[in-house]
Amino acid sequence: MATREVISTGNELAAIAAVDAGCMFFGGYPLTPSSEVMHVISDLLPKKGGVAIQMEDEIAGICCVIGAAMSGKRALTATSGPGMSLKAENLGLAQMAEVPLVCVNVMRGGPSTGLPTRVSQGDILQSKNPSHGDYKSITLCAGSLAECYTETVRAFNIADRFMQPVIVLLDETLGHMHGKAELPTLEDVEAGIVPRKRFDGPADEYFPYQCEHDEPAVLNPMFEGYRYHFTGLHHDKNGFPTEEIETCRKLIQRLEDKVELHKDEIESYEEFMMDDADVMIVAYGSVSLAAKEAIRHLRADGIHAGLFRPITIWPSPAEKIKEHTDRIKKVLVVELNIGQFHSEVQRAAARLDIDGLFKVNGRPISPYEIVNKVKEL
Amino acid sequence: MSRTLMRFTGVGGQGVLLAGEIFAAAKIKTGGYGLKTATYTSQVRGGPTVVDITLDDEEIYYPYANDGEINFMLSVAQVSYDLFKNGVMKGGTIVIDPNLITPAEGDRDYWNIYEIPIITIAKEEVGNVITQSVVALAIANTMTKAIDKDVLIETMLSKVPPKVHEANLKAYELGEKYARACHMD
Repeated sequence: MATREVISTGNELAAIAAVDAGCMFFGGYPLTPSSEVMHVISDLLPKKGGVAIQMEDEIAGICCVIGAAMSGKRALTATSGPGMSLKAENLGLAQMAEVPLVCVNVMRGGPSTGLPTRVSQGDILQSKNPSHGDYKSITLCAGSLAECYTETVRAFNIADRFMQPVIVLLDETLGHMHGKAELPTLEDVEAGIVPRKRFDGPADEYFPYQCEHDEPAVLNPMFEGYRYHFTGLHHDKNGFPTEEIETCRKLIQRLEDKVELHKDEIESYEEFMMDDADVMIVAYGSVSLAAKEAIRHLRADGIHAGLFRPITIWPSPAEKIKEHTDRIKKVLVVELNIGQFHSEVQRAAARLDIDGLFKVNGRPISPYEIVNKVKEL
Repeated sequence: MSRTLMRFTGVGGQGVLLAGEIFAAAKIKTGGYGLKTATYTSQVRGGPTVVDITLDDEEIYYPYANDGEINFMLSVAQVSYDLFKNGVMKGGTIVIDPNLITPAEGDRDYWNIYEIPIITIAKEEVGNVITQSVVALAIANTMTKAIDKDVLIETMLSKVPPKVHEANLKAYELGEKYARACHMD
């Protein structure tokens, strides 16, 4: 497949990707270390006839994105941890009402305002359940400059397919690092866009939430003659609030099943030198870059280490993880938090002897720290 | 070429980021790999800032410089010099602005330290303090010979507004001149 080479940063690439994927609306509030996503898209969108707006805060940012998405447009917001906390309630609304949108989270140190300019991966569990209640989050995690672009594009396609928010995780390192990325051509990106489903029958036969047990709602754009009610309450086929027992059960089960039963459409991971590995490192995001460098050193020393890198974090590639952990005894999860994905690897592997290398002081984990830890295993 | 690791350090607001971007882009232009990462504090101005530049013919994964592996460092602030000098390998080169930095005892035995008044050159000889990042760029490239000079200058000019091309070309020449003078000592 043809590619194009660009020199850029992760944040800039996420913004460009959104525009290339057909995003026509950005709403948000600039927050370090994600601000450049907003800076860049504010320049790009008006040139394409789109709209970028700085709202009064992160809550208003996602609210206007929900509105834009309901008008049928692809819409983006971007922020960092503290902004994710503020957006949580409305991410829940978008899950419940089935509104597709993309939320880029460039992770920094937390909790609270934490370490604004420093790298972290502390939002892994938050991205699984940002809001209360039962639903199935979809979270993608870029592991290179190129993936800041490709995963943002994929997020838009997945959001429209499953009619729900998709979170794209970057981290401060990826967001700000500046270098070369090989990207798919714009033609290929455009060819991969599958438009959101819509109902074309008579308006009085339109029931947006009447769908198969494992399929998303079909929300036609507002103001085109197809009416429905929009609410965060449990709702019936028209979207009107209901407490009818079976309708409530089916709705929440469907929110789960539309993702759970179609995981294979979402799942994505990289296996790096795993074929002959007898040590398995699990890492994602910018930490996977240190892991790859560490594997070079380890292999030079005769240690057969490999990397398993989840790209889709939620739902996690649990079966694939188990396939490897059933075979490989030494497993090390390396992450910039205190074991947030480590617990998922333990769950997937059904093993409690999974090792971890964690750091939470805002500094990156170096390849040598990984090398030393692997040698201790 | 094996890997070249450079580190530019200063305080927020001095514009040390630009030189890193120019180096990375120039290396990529020549068909190699270049990465720039910056670390800064949440203070808007005055906080210690460090820019790591990795240049290689092979793909680079980890974007930061490992401590003890840096070939060349340039510093224009005492606080950053003190914080980040230990990243430089023994016998590596450190360029400091002597008006802003006093090395600690023993530093000159461990590293090759050169003194170039970078800020004064930019302010008084070029006449525009903003050009200090290009003075620094020229010093770094003259001492490390990391990138073909013409490619580097062409990349630099593509990243600064046309109205300051002349000033930046002058800044490059001066940086190169001072760096050469050091090596002749």
